[in-house]
Amino acid sequence: MWIQALLLAVIAVVLIVFVRRWYGVRMQAGKRIAFFAFLAVNAWAVVRPNDVTWMANRLGVGRGADLVLYLLVAGFALATLNTYLRFRELDRRFTDLTRTLAIREAELVNRERGLLESQHEHPAVLPGQQH
Amino acid sequence: MPENEDVWVVIPVFNEERVIADVVADVRTTFPNVVCVDDGSRDGSAERVAATRAHLVRHPVNMGQGAALQTGLSYALARSGGKYFVTFDADGQHQVEDARRMVEIARQGGADAVLGSRFLDQPRKVPAVKRLVLRAVVALSPNTRRLRLTDAHNGLRVLTRPAAERLRITMNGMAHASEIVSQLAKARVPVVEVPVTILYTEYSMSKGQSLINGVNILFDLSVRQRG
Repeated sequence: MWIQALLLAVIAVVLIVFVRRWYGVRMQAGKRIAFFAFLAVNAWAVVRPNDVTWMANRLGVGRGADLVLYLLVAGFALATLNTYLRFRELDRRFTDLTRTLAIREAELVNRERGLLESQHEHPAVLPGQQH
Repeated sequence: MPENEDVWVVIPVFNEERVIADVVADVRTTFPNVVCVDDGSRDGSAERVAATRAHLVRHPVNMGQGAALQTGLSYALARSGGKYFVTFDADGQHQVEDARRMVEIARQGGADAVLGSRFLDQPRKVPAVKRLVLRAVVALSPNTRRLRLTDAHNGLRVLTRPAAERLRITMNGMAHASEIVSQLAKARVPVVEVPVTILYTEYSMSKGQSLINGVNILFDLSVRQRG
């Protein structure tokens, strides 16, 4: 049945995007085109519900509502993936920011503790610090 | 110049107040320069470190061991005079003697990255489930295979400055170990593996990598965006 091929194709796309590092301008544009296509199909389905049923039958699905449900699941998977990748990118930036701040702060604190300037002066093992 | 003044030991710390002061003291008998990265611990780890002569860097929030390692390396690399960089676990499972031996190997020019392995010498001492997980991770990461490494997830490593400068750890969680290996392989850094002894105390066992963590590692690695 066509619907199975279609849904399997969506799963394959999700997997590929997940594992490979497709990012950047083309991906961005692709997502936007997909979004507008999605809106257009929505509008069409609202105006002419029977067309959805016709389409469902052509794809081997009994009812139009079922087709909508299947596509919703596929769309949800893609949206989730998109959010996940976005979060990772945010996480990366957050890490960079935090690291920069942590190191700057540490340099001040460790200088106050007398560790940074006297670094080359104190002996390898201070008396009383032996384990 | 005192011995090992050109070595920096990086210790990522997360909720290790019970042992961290002893570990630092132990390391400092051999290596004077220690930087502990407190990864947003909720216990008194940072205070314990502050009471020692180790450098302390504090993450204001918990970001994961990989992030802590990179922070420690960045901090240590910014100190002039550092030529060798050691990564060392905070839970006391590594031996300072092993680290000293590995630094010697790096000093002799044997390799730019010296990695500790639990499996070269004493595979029997590693608990069976853990051995299985670690083997699986090795088998599934192509770079580990190419370098013929036996243990991709050992926290004890010695890097020369050029090798350490090449690293960009982006895996904040536990997948960073595979990421380090993969970046070293990609940059064609000469790597050797040496047997090290791990003390599996009850304490370190409770903090080590579980089977569940293995799943997380594989997931993180499969979805990374940049190799």
